[in-house]
Amino acid sequence: MTTYILRRILASLPVLLGILFATFALGRMIPGDPCRAILGEKATDAVCDDFIHRHGLDKPIPVQFGIYTQEVLTGDFGTSFRFAKPVGDLLIERLPTTLELSLAALFISIVIGIPLGIISAVRHNSWVDVVTMVWANMGVSMPVFWLGLMLAYVFSLTLKDTPFWLPPSGRLTSGVISTSFADLWGWSVPASGVWRNLVDFISRLNILNGLLTLNFTLVADAVKHLILPAVALGTIPMAIIARMTRSSMLEVLGQDYIRTARAKGVKSWGVILKHAFRNALLPLMTVIGLSLGGLLGGAVLTETTFGLSGVGRILYDAITARDYAIVQAFTVVIAVFFVFLNLAVDVLYAYVDPRIRLD
Amino acid sequence: MASDKTPSIASLDAEAITLQSVSLWQTTWHRLFRRKSSVVGLGIILALIFIALTAQWLAPYDPIDQPGKAENLRPRAAPCIHLLGCPADQPQHLMGLDANFRDEFSRLLYGTRLSLSIGFSTVIFAIIIGTVLGALSGYFGGWVDTVIMRVMDVLLAFPSLLLAIAIVTVLGPGLINALLAIGIVSIPSYARVVRASVLSVREMDFVSATRALGGSDFQILFGRILPNALTPLIVQGTLGIATAILDAAALSFLGLGAQPPTPEWGAMLGSERNQVFSAPHLVFYPGLAIMITVLAFNLLGDGLRDALDPRLAHGG
Amino acid sequence: MKKNLFSLLSALVLVSLMLAACGPAVTATEAPAAATEAPAAATEAPAATEAPAMPAFVGDKLEAPDCTYGGNMKSIEAVDEYTVKFTLCAPDPAFPSKIAFSSFAIQPKEHLEATGGSPLENPVGTGPYQVAEWKRGEELIFKAFDGYWGEKAKTPTLVFRWQSEAAGRLVELQSGTVDGIDNPGTDDFATIAADPNLQLINRPALNVMYIGFNNTTAPFDNEMVRQAVAMSIDRASIIKNFYPAGSEVADFFTPCAIPNGCVGDAWYGFDPAKGKELLAQAGYADGFKTTLSYRDVVRGYLPQPSVVAQDIQSQLKQNLNIDVEIVVMESGAFLDAADSGTIQGMHLLGWGADYPDQTNFLDYHFGAGSSKQFGNKYEDIVAALKQAASLAMDADRKPLYEQANALIKQHVPMIPVAHGGSAVAFKSTVQGGHASPLGNEYFAVMSNGGDTFVWMQNAEPISLYCADETDGESLRACEQVTESLLRYEVGGTAVEPALAESYTANADLTEWTFTLRQGVQFHDGSMLDANDVVASLVLQWDAANPLHKGNTGGFSYWSGLFGPFLNAPAQ
Repeated sequence: MTTYILRRILASLPVLLGILFATFALGRMIPGDPCRAILGEKATDAVCDDFIHRHGLDKPIPVQFGIYTQEVLTGDFGTSFRFAKPVGDLLIERLPTTLELSLAALFISIVIGIPLGIISAVRHNSWVDVVTMVWANMGVSMPVFWLGLMLAYVFSLTLKDTPFWLPPSGRLTSGVISTSFADLWGWSVPASGVWRNLVDFISRLNILNGLLTLNFTLVADAVKHLILPAVALGTIPMAIIARMTRSSMLEVLGQDYIRTARAKGVKSWGVILKHAFRNALLPLMTVIGLSLGGLLGGAVLTETTFGLSGVGRILYDAITARDYAIVQAFTVVIAVFFVFLNLAVDVLYAYVDPRIRLD
Repeated sequence: MASDKTPSIASLDAEAITLQSVSLWQTTWHRLFRRKSSVVGLGIILALIFIALTAQWLAPYDPIDQPGKAENLRPRAAPCIHLLGCPADQPQHLMGLDANFRDEFSRLLYGTRLSLSIGFSTVIFAIIIGTVLGALSGYFGGWVDTVIMRVMDVLLAFPSLLLAIAIVTVLGPGLINALLAIGIVSIPSYARVVRASVLSVREMDFVSATRALGGSDFQILFGRILPNALTPLIVQGTLGIATAILDAAALSFLGLGAQPPTPEWGAMLGSERNQVFSAPHLVFYPGLAIMITVLAFNLLGDGLRDALDPRLAHGG
Repeated sequence: MKKNLFSLLSALVLVSLMLAACGPAVTATEAPAAATEAPAAATEAPAATEAPAMPAFVGDKLEAPDCTYGGNMKSIEAVDEYTVKFTLCAPDPAFPSKIAFSSFAIQPKEHLEATGGSPLENPVGTGPYQVAEWKRGEELIFKAFDGYWGEKAKTPTLVFRWQSEAAGRLVELQSGTVDGIDNPGTDDFATIAADPNLQLINRPALNVMYIGFNNTTAPFDNEMVRQAVAMSIDRASIIKNFYPAGSEVADFFTPCAIPNGCVGDAWYGFDPAKGKELLAQAGYADGFKTTLSYRDVVRGYLPQPSVVAQDIQSQLKQNLNIDVEIVVMESGAFLDAADSGTIQGMHLLGWGADYPDQTNFLDYHFGAGSSKQFGNKYEDIVAALKQAASLAMDADRKPLYEQANALIKQHVPMIPVAHGGSAVAFKSTVQGGHASPLGNEYFAVMSNGGDTFVWMQNAEPISLYCADETDGESLRACEQVTESLLRYEVGGTAVEPALAESYTANADLTEWTFTLRQGVQFHDGSMLDANDVVASLVLQWDAANPLHKGNTGGFSYWSGLFGPFLNAPAQ
């Protein structure tokens, strides 16, 4: 097992290097003067000379790559000229919104997708199956941004003045105060530092912070704001998960030992959950792991539609503003995150299914 | 999602395919038509192709003209359909007008042409490059394989839409650049499919025989090996069209793809997204068009996959 | 990943430590209450007001060696603790109107030094509200300042939120999650007016939307081409189709409500045939290809940017066979690019009045200190404006503005299109709701009966250091927090005292002396004195000042209103 994990980690090293190189190339292929592209049109010559020297832009390309790698490894992502802030700060500031949104979307897609898949496999070719599959096919074909707008139209406008009304944008209603759990518990967190950042990060996860501080008004309000974007974002993974669950379940249900178990009179649902579903879980894990990457992409669209300022939104703004420090840093972080996610899925897979390790 | 679902190619006897290709295609058609969903998908696609080819006759107006201006209508006028009770003295606009007095229905029809070309062209581009890379990688192995597949891994490491966005950043916004970006992003999945089929037949008898008879690498690769990759490529390509159309629409929605006044569905939707509450027809119809088109290619792709893969034929 | 994250975090630690070290220096001085009502005539603060431990006041002063550097400011001097004197190179009757503008707000000298001249997120002002927290991307929260010298804010907490979509803003207002919104959509005016729960307040059209040309590149380096385009755009149809009620076709750059705004010949009539002929004379009979850049941001002067851009695109194609490619840019990047003259082709932009004077419109755009937005400056326009600005009486200035308007019509640096009517909407329960023609709604006078007042505008402020911002969304936020020597009346344009109780000018309007209000407290507890005023303004004026940093270092309002910077680096 350990050897397998080590081998997998080693195998992802060249990919990580490739990512570094790709984002480096992205930064260098920007049309125009790199200094003014990064610092903005207004940078004076003196500032530019200093910038070019400091980042080694006057050195040969391989040396530049080395410097860039060093900067990324030490967490120095540069400063965003549009926000006049270190990019690392922005990352910490914006990540909670996206994290909350993606996790909620994933939660919805799993909690709805898996049962639907199981039911339609067990009641194969029944009307439940047909409806689920038609719906799942539509789900994977739906443009995220369109679904978001349609949901907002229905729930924010048509259902106005009903209890089903949901807010069309934002994370919290103004006036709903989110007090940091650390403040409430009287923790003395230093004004800056790793702990401060960690505490800030957690405090910005509204639902978690609300639960920690037992502020249920906050939790309810945050959930209310989260429903529409999370449903919009979660629909595609939900459809994929439902389809995947269904086909793996069908495969497993057709196998002899299940038939035997059923024939022996083991209660039907018991068989399904205990034997069949456990085996169907394997391919499902891969799908779920992979859809997290898709969620990050979809977050750009969802956050734009619902006026949320998470990683996706800032990335989009940075692209239109040509704020390359942000684009470069965020792409690198997201890609690296994605690589590690895949690694984790592989390892987990190997852990559950020993056959893999022998490959 | 579909890239890892081509497990059974090895089980197909490659020689048999070449010999009995006629009957294989017959069975495939037969299997395909047994599935209602793939028939629906195929039907929609044929209808869309028809619309795309005949848009200039079907569409009541030019997509760039502003008929509503002369007709003294308000911009974003709601749909007026005579059959559904719109007074006959009012000019008929089936899906209403957009913000610049253009006929939404005509734009939607012309958009079909654009969306289909986007889908086909990006997929063909990606298939050509992906096939060459995958074939080289699988046939020669060694460092060629390592380099190519590592590059593909790097491309796959980025969420596809984000990578496409990043590429458009460097190239600059515009339809062609968006297509290029989407094409590049989808290369790895084709390269992987081709490489897998090449690997599976590389050492088989009929290949060795050609080699013994003095066939060149080129002959072997393109004459003997690649035809075996056709099946998975068709499946992957059909599903790929769906993804390409969806991604292109997303880029245009963000303003990075087609630029106004091009009648591109994503762009039409994106420019009117502020109006979702006051003129919902301008958001509803383009989105619906995107969904139907993508759905059709997804249905056909799924059907093809099952029909071409005997093992799955009974699954569902 | 772990290592990466750790490095990231440790980098953050360093940054945060640095920031912590630069915290505001608090100078705690108790202001004797009796001194606040000191007579305006007093040139020297009475000895009783001086705290015993305070060192004697040493006034700061900056003086330009002479006026050849191009700007209109000669010196700024703290004469004594509560007196500031400005000396100008040429008379400027609009000086009070200008100095009241929120870019010239006063912050404590110590704070400016501590933040290195860029208090972007933590301005310290004297206003009725202070910044409590800026949740970037989400909301900006202000809390009422107890030590405010004037009438205190009616609501303890003020929240700014933003939403770029008009439809989204309206839904928030209708569902009651916000108390007021800016710029409802063109199609929604009637809905709001008809809703008994809402009130619609029209904002006078003190703005202009124009199509700018960069005269440094072909074909727009040719005056005839610009004139041809000017004649071939049907501006009336644009206003009729895409602007709300209360908007007008702009026949001059400046709206008529501004003194001497619309004097002289009106703009070209719509005459595409003549335009075509002119274009042919210029050698472009078959049209040409160009670009039209804009930012997709709704403003009072441009309620539907993308739609108007496409209409112009289609008109130019139809009337002159010009192929226009539309380029959408991010707001801040667009403004930067426009100001630095890097946008080729045409661009759509607008201007809302900051203070009611021709200089705010014409001089800012076409005067000596204007940006490179239209490429190279038109020297004859510059000369006419300079002369006009130096005269004291509106009647005397009139012929010069007639001349300037005629020159603008001849050179066509831009095509004025519309004076856009806009509105703000509030819940009907809101007291004191108003719309300001200058766009600076003042929330201290508004109340919804509760503890929190929520205002939703179009966009997030870029920064809260408005000396170096030009964007109305930023300025409105600053105006709740910081104050200038003078201010504009609430909901109007008349100038009234603020941090200065009174001011006097010499006969030829070149020396302006301001007497500061005493006992004014900053949000950090320190007290206002003349050196704070000098520091706040000198850092903008003097490009060599170490604090001349701001957000981008542009300080566009200073150069637009008072001409080039002192010690500006050679171009």
